[in-house]
Amino acid sequence: MSNKIYVALAAASAIGLHAQALNHKIDFPKDSPVSLLSADFGNSNVTARGANVIEVNAALSLRNSGQRRIRSMTLMVSAPDAAGKGSVSVPTLDAGPGETFSIHIGTRLVRPLAAGNPVVEVTLDGILFDDLSFYGPDLLHSQRTMIAWELEAQRDRKYFKTLLETAGAEGLRKGMLSSLARQADRSQTGVQMVRSRATNIDAEPEAQFAFLEIPESPVEASNGRARIGASLAGAPQFEVRNRSNRAVQHLEIGWIVKDQQGREFLAASMPADMKLAPNQSGQVTQDAALRFDRPISIQSMSGFVSSVEFADGSQWIPSRGALDQPRLRQLVAPSPEEQRLSQIYSRKGLPALVDELKKF
Amino acid sequence: MTRHLAETDLALYASGDLPFYRSPLVTLHVRSCDVCRGLVEALRADREELRRSADEMPANVPKNFDWDQLAAEMTANIRVGLAAGECVTPRERKVAPISWRPAAIAAGVVVLLAGAWWLNIPRADTETIGHALRTMATGGRMSVPQEGPVVKASSAGVVLVENGGQMGIDQGALEPVMYSVSTQGSASARYVDDAGQVTITATYVQ
Repeated sequence: MSNKIYVALAAASAIGLHAQALNHKIDFPKDSPVSLLSADFGNSNVTARGANVIEVNAALSLRNSGQRRIRSMTLMVSAPDAAGKGSVSVPTLDAGPGETFSIHIGTRLVRPLAAGNPVVEVTLDGILFDDLSFYGPDLLHSQRTMIAWELEAQRDRKYFKTLLETAGAEGLRKGMLSSLARQADRSQTGVQMVRSRATNIDAEPEAQFAFLEIPESPVEASNGRARIGASLAGAPQFEVRNRSNRAVQHLEIGWIVKDQQGREFLAASMPADMKLAPNQSGQVTQDAALRFDRPISIQSMSGFVSSVEFADGSQWIPSRGALDQPRLRQLVAPSPEEQRLSQIYSRKGLPALVDELKKF
Repeated sequence: MTRHLAETDLALYASGDLPFYRSPLVTLHVRSCDVCRGLVEALRADREELRRSADEMPANVPKNFDWDQLAAEMTANIRVGLAAGECVTPRERKVAPISWRPAAIAAGVVVLLAGAWWLNIPRADTETIGHALRTMATGGRMSVPQEGPVVKASSAGVVLVENGGQMGIDQGALEPVMYSVSTQGSASARYVDDAGQVTITATYVQ
């Protein structure tokens, strides 16, 4: 009798764990400046574990088949009938015409069993070239983000190149050590973003938050306030004024939270699409709440303008000098390019870094 | 100070039931002690009253009524009552000795089911069920399922939870060097591999 039970349960487990091959689709436009050389979905599979668990482990080998240097690329990952989208971006590329590069896609989708035979689609969302021109459908608004990455990369490469020219290899070494120390000291905490109507945030008390002044910023933010509760902050509101002589169409505010131990961390980014003529003011209200993964008693909040996009698509990002003020230095993450350069220094040493900086 | 006799001795003396060898001493004491004598007289008065009450039995009780038979019937009735009471009283169950074989089979089934659960049910579902059970056990109110999508960013990467499904984007075994969320409904995580290539993954609420 007991043997029969064992056999039945083992069979049930085996059926439950039966992994299906993943149905996938990679779709690049015909005129894409990037062509797919190969796609290895080796370890990808679909497993019925109470739900369809889709594990995607894909390595794509790509070639720049256009005539311009590619600085970054974003692929969109989606599953038909599944809510939401995902993306994988490589922000620090330098792929010349005919050169190849690879992108790894690791995705885990969990969908109800009733959702049917799962298919994962990988499509191109955007490519940014070294002249800041863009190609792609931009369904995820990648262009704005990729331009910001490239501007940050140009800013930081210039900074380290100048350091090398003015202070020599020793100066560059000190600059790299300072960058690595700042990355190590930067505190982060897990956070969730939910629509504030899905929380009881409206019942929480309102608190003011101050803005760090960045004199060079084309937009000034003021009168910030948000509701705060136990490990919760939401419904942020603030006023902005365009103090430049150019029309603004988008801006982003960094939202800083200080906990009961006096530690500050960058809790979230608050993007806002709004058209502001020169000297025009506006009000930003966001229907969002942040929930922190660890218990936090929020002592105070502050913010700073982290980027501005003008009506012509050009962008302002803070200079290294602006980010060097003590509070921001510990909070703002290094750019992807600075992170890449510091990784080269850590792994390969100063000569490899100097060679890298000489490339472009 | 006069030491009085025990009340039981006085009661036996009043009814004439005291053993003959103790009777002279009690008689001498009762004669000289007003208190004990008063008690003996009171006991004798009570016996007289009882006797008179017995003589006033209902008229339908014959003079030659068999009191022994009545006592036997009453005893029998009491026994019947006790037996009936035992029938309706919950009995202590005798615990049957547990055989090791069914216990071993049950333990094996539990281990197998736990293993099957661990392998088949997503961890997030297990955590949700565990949370719900803990909430019920502690008498707390079940939290209302979250309305709308949630994006999460942590050292485990980024995840979008929506409509009972999840989408997480990662870079295999790599841990993100930084992660963040945006109030417009996205979460992103940045990875750097050994070759220095930076990859940024993100999930978006549509």
